[in-house]
Amino acid sequence: MTSKELDTRFSELLLTEGSDSVGKTNKLEGQGSNDDVQITCFTEDLHDVTFHFQIIKLTKQIYVWIGCNTAKFGHLYAAAITRPNKTVAVTPVLGGTSDNTGSGIARRLVLKTGLNIIVACNIPKDSPTLEVTAERKLFEKLKSLGYIKPRPEGLPVSSAHN
Amino acid sequence: MDSSQPTRFPVTHKSVSLDIKVIVTQIGCMGTILHARKEESVSTEPTFSVSVIFGKRDEPWLLACGRQLIEHISCSGSSRPLVLSLGLKDHSPETLKEIIVAVIENCLW
Repeated sequence: MTSKELDTRFSELLLTEGSDSVGKTNKLEGQGSNDDVQITCFTEDLHDVTFHFQIIKLTKQIYVWIGCNTAKFGHLYAAAITRPNKTVAVTPVLGGTSDNTGSGIARRLVLKTGLNIIVACNIPKDSPTLEVTAERKLFEKLKSLGYIKPRPEGLPVSSAHN
Repeated sequence: MDSSQPTRFPVTHKSVSLDIKVIVTQIGCMGTILHARKEESVSTEPTFSVSVIFGKRDEPWLLACGRQLIEHISCSGSSRPLVLSLGLKDHSPETLKEIIVAVIENCLW
C-alpha cells in the first residue's frame, strides 16, 4: 500500500506504509449539534504482518476496519446488545457467511463498549493467532481512547469471554 | 450546501481502500448500509447492482443514490465496489442529491 495524503473539506487522514503504531485521531465537531465524530487511524507493524486500523466513533455506534497487510474492505459484521436478556447478537452483513473471522471481535467489542458495533475485517481465514493479535491491539487502543468502559450493569458475567 | 436545509451533515468522511467506503451521517449512527458494484463483460455495457445490506429496504431514493455514485465511480475509470452508509434524518431527493454532490467533490477514485 502506498502512502497518500488525503485532503477533504472536513478531515485529513494520513496512511503510511511500514510505520510502527503511528496513530492520528481526528475529532470533528458537528455543526449545530453536540455530536462529534472521532476518527482514529493507526498501523501496527508486527514481524511478519502489518495491521491497519480505522476506528470511527459515532454517538451510538463504533465502526472499526481492520486491514491485514492489504487495504481490502473484507467481511462486514454488525453486532448489538439484544433485549430482554442483554446478550449479544452478531450477524454477517457482507461476506463472511462461511468464514467468521471478525465476528468474535465484533461480539467482544459490544460486550466491552455497550454500543452497536460494525466491524470490517480482512484477516485471512483460519488464522486465529492473527485474529487474536489484531483484537488485542485494537482493544489496547480503544482503552487508551476511553471507548471501553467498565462492564455495564446487567450483562451476564458468563458471556463475558468466549 | 443548500441554505434552506434545516439540518446540516456533521461530517462527510472518506477513506482509502481497494473498495470504496463512504459514510454519511446525521443521526449519530451509520444507518442504512448499501453495497454497489459494477459487473463488466467483454461485449456489453457494464451493469451495476445496488442492494441494501443493512437497514431500511423500503427507501428507493437510497438505492438511487448508490446507483448514481457507483456509476460515477465507473465513469472515472475505477471498477471498485462501493460500500455506502447513509444515516439520514430525511430521505428526500434534494438531500440525496446534495450528498452525491458532496461525495463527488471529495472523491478519491
